[in-house]
Amino acid sequence: MGAAVAGWTVAAVLLQVAGLSLFLYGFFPVKPTLRGFSGEESYQVPSCGSVSAGQQEPALPPDQLRSLYRELSGIPPVYDRLVLMVIDGLPAEFVLGRGRKPPSKEMMESMPYTQSLLAGCKAAAYHAKAAPPTVTMPRLKAMVSGAIGGFLDVAFNFNTQAFLEDNLLDQLHMIGLKLVMLGDETWIKLFPTLFTRQDGVSSFYVKDTVEVDFNVSRHLEFELAAKDWSVLVLHYLGLDHVGHIGGRRSVLMTQKMKEMDDVIRRVHAASLLDNMNRTLFVVVSDHGMTEGGNHGGSSYEETDSLALFIGHSVESPYCSPYDQNEALQVDLAPTLALLLGVPIPKNNFGVVLPEPLNSLTDDQKLRMLELNSWQILRLLQAQVPAFCLEECINSEGSIVLDILHESIEKKLCHLLSKAFSSHQSSRLHRGSDFKSVQAGYYGTAADNYYGFLRYASEWLSHRATDKPLYLLVSAILLMTVSCLFLMSTVSCLLKGRSLSQVDQHSESYLDQRCHLDEVLVLAGMFLYVISLGSSSFVEEEQYTWHFLTSTLYLIFLTKAIHSMLKGSNPTLGHKAEESFDKSNFSYATSFELTPGKRNVYKLCTILIVLVAGRVIRAWHQGGINWVHFPDISKLLAQADSSVVKSLQIISFLAVVVLFSVSLTLLRARSKFVIGVWLTHIFCGFLVLLHICANQISTSLPINHSTASIARQFYVIASVSISATVLASPWVFPIFSTEAESASSGSSPVKAIHGIRNSLFLTGITYTAFWGLLQLLLQQPINAIPLFLIFLQTVSSVVHFSLDKTLHKQWVQVVAMQFLGMAGHFGLGNTNSLASIDVAGAFIGISSYSTVLSGILMFMITYASPLMLYLGLVLHVSVKDIDDISTLRHLKWSYILDKMVTLPCLFPLLINSLALTSYTIVLLLMRNHLFVWSVFSPKYLYVCAATVCTYVGVFVIAMTAVYNCAVFKFRARSYRDKSQ
Amino acid sequence: MRAEFSQISALTAAAAHVLCFAGLAAAHALAGRGALVSDPALALRLVVVCEAPIVIAVFSYLRRDTQSCSFFKAVARGLIGLPVGAFLNAFGAIVLGAPVGIKYWIATIYWSLAMSLLTFVPAACVFGTSKIDWQNVLSHSIYFTPIDVENYMISAPCHGAVLGAWLGAWPMPLDWERPWQEWPICVTYGAVAGYLVGMSVSLVLIAVHKRRVRAKTD
Ligand SMILES: [Zn+2]
Ligand SMILES: [Zn+2]
Repeated sequence: MGAAVAGWTVAAVLLQVAGLSLFLYGFFPVKPTLRGFSGEESYQVPSCGSVSAGQQEPALPPDQLRSLYRELSGIPPVYDRLVLMVIDGLPAEFVLGRGRKPPSKEMMESMPYTQSLLAGCKAAAYHAKAAPPTVTMPRLKAMVSGAIGGFLDVAFNFNTQAFLEDNLLDQLHMIGLKLVMLGDETWIKLFPTLFTRQDGVSSFYVKDTVEVDFNVSRHLEFELAAKDWSVLVLHYLGLDHVGHIGGRRSVLMTQKMKEMDDVIRRVHAASLLDNMNRTLFVVVSDHGMTEGGNHGGSSYEETDSLALFIGHSVESPYCSPYDQNEALQVDLAPTLALLLGVPIPKNNFGVVLPEPLNSLTDDQKLRMLELNSWQILRLLQAQVPAFCLEECINSEGSIVLDILHESIEKKLCHLLSKAFSSHQSSRLHRGSDFKSVQAGYYGTAADNYYGFLRYASEWLSHRATDKPLYLLVSAILLMTVSCLFLMSTVSCLLKGRSLSQVDQHSESYLDQRCHLDEVLVLAGMFLYVISLGSSSFVEEEQYTWHFLTSTLYLIFLTKAIHSMLKGSNPTLGHKAEESFDKSNFSYATSFELTPGKRNVYKLCTILIVLVAGRVIRAWHQGGINWVHFPDISKLLAQADSSVVKSLQIISFLAVVVLFSVSLTLLRARSKFVIGVWLTHIFCGFLVLLHICANQISTSLPINHSTASIARQFYVIASVSISATVLASPWVFPIFSTEAESASSGSSPVKAIHGIRNSLFLTGITYTAFWGLLQLLLQQPINAIPLFLIFLQTVSSVVHFSLDKTLHKQWVQVVAMQFLGMAGHFGLGNTNSLASIDVAGAFIGISSYSTVLSGILMFMITYASPLMLYLGLVLHVSVKDIDDISTLRHLKWSYILDKMVTLPCLFPLLINSLALTSYTIVLLLMRNHLFVWSVFSPKYLYVCAATVCTYVGVFVIAMTAVYNCAVFKFRARSYRDKSQ
Repeated sequence: MRAEFSQISALTAAAAHVLCFAGLAAAHALAGRGALVSDPALALRLVVVCEAPIVIAVFSYLRRDTQSCSFFKAVARGLIGLPVGAFLNAFGAIVLGAPVGIKYWIATIYWSLAMSLLTFVPAACVFGTSKIDWQNVLSHSIYFTPIDVENYMISAPCHGAVLGAWLGAWPMPLDWERPWQEWPICVTYGAVAGYLVGMSVSLVLIAVHKRRVRAKTD
């Protein structure tokens, strides 16, 4: 039976993995883009019919290309040189204020030079809305190419690859300009061969706020004096790092902004010295940041990035810089391309911005708009094959103007032909003597162009990429089949178990027709699956899990009270009590509790879980929508840092004490156990050192001593855990001592003791070390919730071991898993990518390593579910194997099967249920407004949770298998010896 | 058999339920339309004030051990049961995530008193300290195994109110931004609706039970 179950499970898991990868491949496609680079055809009217993609003209030498472009465009380039300064993570709000109000006085004063430029109308600034996901690499791509990449660019953010699409920098390079890059090495990864000179700094070392920027600024003097480059890219990371460490209101923020302002002043001064004043200076940020300094999501705070143009063409006699000028981040690409005289990148859907063209003549402006429209028209033709300019113009006369009911294509068509015809009439009136008439024609033409461009741009950005439906449906079918496999396996098992139990405890409490807790688990899973279809339940998922978990434990409480009432009833009580003390190793038997005391313990453990759960819930209140809700973590963030530190130390001590108390329950106090305890204490000491050292270092960039402490911890902890796991089955006696004295046979009941002890030690070591590791890695504010989750784990196990007849084993496993999910959200995780703690992922890592920091990030995010999976090992050890006594002789495979099947199957089943139903939800929601901002990030979390479940189940299964194998071997050699 | 002498008729049970319903209706009429949304504390206070005397009086009259326990003793049990039940309800609600901020205290207190009147007080008045009856209140076995009319009368509305309150909390995280999504408004609506459903279920169960008993005796 065991082998069959294992086979089915593995088959189901494989099916699930196959379905999941198929779905990911289909749902997050690498966005289809136009290949190749824009060339001289950009200056011609796009022709109808097939899009000429393949034909490539022989590449001209750069100088000829440059003059060709100049000739074709009809406008001389406005600038020859470009300085693009990227300030990572600077919200536009810091410079431009919000809602027509200037920024706070403090902010104004921290950027005096920039503000003076704005006030003097020497610069034009925009709130350039960035598209989610607001992480650096996709945003850089959007800025230089004018296109938004696929959603999975986030996943590639940690594995940057060369950028092959048409983009501004390549265009500039093609006309022979020299490029220099200083700053974030993402640029070098995107454009490995483009830059003449480069100095990359790593963006992954988030704790450093000084060094990263110094490494850029130290070249500034040389580069500003050098005349050989035409494009200088500066990417400053420090401000983003300041945000990650201390949030928007960090004390380091104004200082960092002053530093940035100083750089702006220096660059601007140097560009003014330039002959003819032909340098364009652009200051942009790739994304904003939340109050807490994170980014990745799609809130206003995160998408509000800056685009600031400084140059002679921008200047105007009057301006209102704090007017909440809105733009899109992608608008940067066409604007810069047109100002520098290169073709607009092929996949761009940005619109040229008006203010940087201030000094140009009306004709030149209209020409630029025309070029932009042609480029967008080509892109439209690629998306809508039948779209054609001439047909639009021809059909225009016959169509009754009934735009509202027309299709989008018709509307685009109409807007386009209106724009072109008004441009035509403006051209006809060029010779007109009356300035006002000319200006009027220019005005309508420009308005019509912007009307078309904005509409087309919006349509292109919102247009969902075509998803191969059959692929997605077959992926879902695979997942459903896998889910059904698991379900049928579980139902077969449960049926088998309940049959075998009927003849044993026919009168016991277990045989009531249906149990409230089981009904709740089923109904709760049903409600949870339903709730996934609503975006607000996805955004506020923490409520669902906390509510379900607390309800389940409240039901446990009523059941415990119920059984107490029953138990104190003398006629009914005895039967149940008798079954306890047979052969169980548990917390109860270790202390030889009287039934009365046991009842008190039973109630207390549940109350602990409930109250701890409520505190954890209050620690991080809001999800995505209600981030502003007051909660304990916000309270502590404002409180003195010593409070947080003392809370950290308290929870550290509590973890150590709880571990020590649990160890004393092992009646075998061998040297080995003491050794495990000592290494734990030592590791705890290291964590304590790290906590203390870290407190000082929040203001300093990198503290090498803390990194080495963390590394020591990693080494010692991993060594001692693996030693414990490997050695513990060899240490404990196979048969308990009293059993051996009573009857020297190898009866199964007695043999179970050794493996119990060993599993118990392994489980408690797992959980306690995991707790210490998390205390090291997590934000200081999360220390208490971490301890509480540890406490919940232990007290649930104690509760389940106290009364084994009260709840079925699978309900216990599910309860532990629910606790894990509730704790996951209690640690401040949400379903938005912004809540991932990036800073913690670099603790103890000296050199940048994608894999290591990725693993650490995963461990931080899934701290609580993994803790509960490790707790299941503990739970396995105290589990009652009821019908072991009926076995004639020892059968280890049977014990293994009994111990480990349910704790492995149920997490897999529940996860598979969530995964499958959420995949279906995502498929149904694929055209929903929130699909990229709410549902897709959640899907990434669901995938990560699947990985987490696999890891957890693998650990449980392997630990149990290893223990059983060792004990089997030892029992056999023992028998051989005694014979 | 015990059921012989303390069995109450279906009509009495129906009358008791009608009286309780009348209390709720009176509170509703006094508070006026929409008062629960605009001022939950006031509306809940009215519910407590109107419902408490009715519930305690009615169920003390219907007390189980008529011989050994006087009417006033049962009333005293109800009066003690009121805060105890309120405490239990408040504990449950807070553990399930009810807000604990200062501005919610008053509403929470009145809510838990009202919930106590719907759930705990009737049982306290009727059963006193009879363990076996409390066991029945705590379990759902009454729906499967026939027992006394009192158990149906007490348990079904109690279970209905708790279940209704639990279900009533589900719309709270939705982003509809309606005033009734606040604590404790929709939970109260759910509880009252569940209570009414429970009442009718209990009447049906009692009717079915009576018919079965009559069929058996015939
Ligand atoms: Zn960034
Ligand atoms: Zn960042």
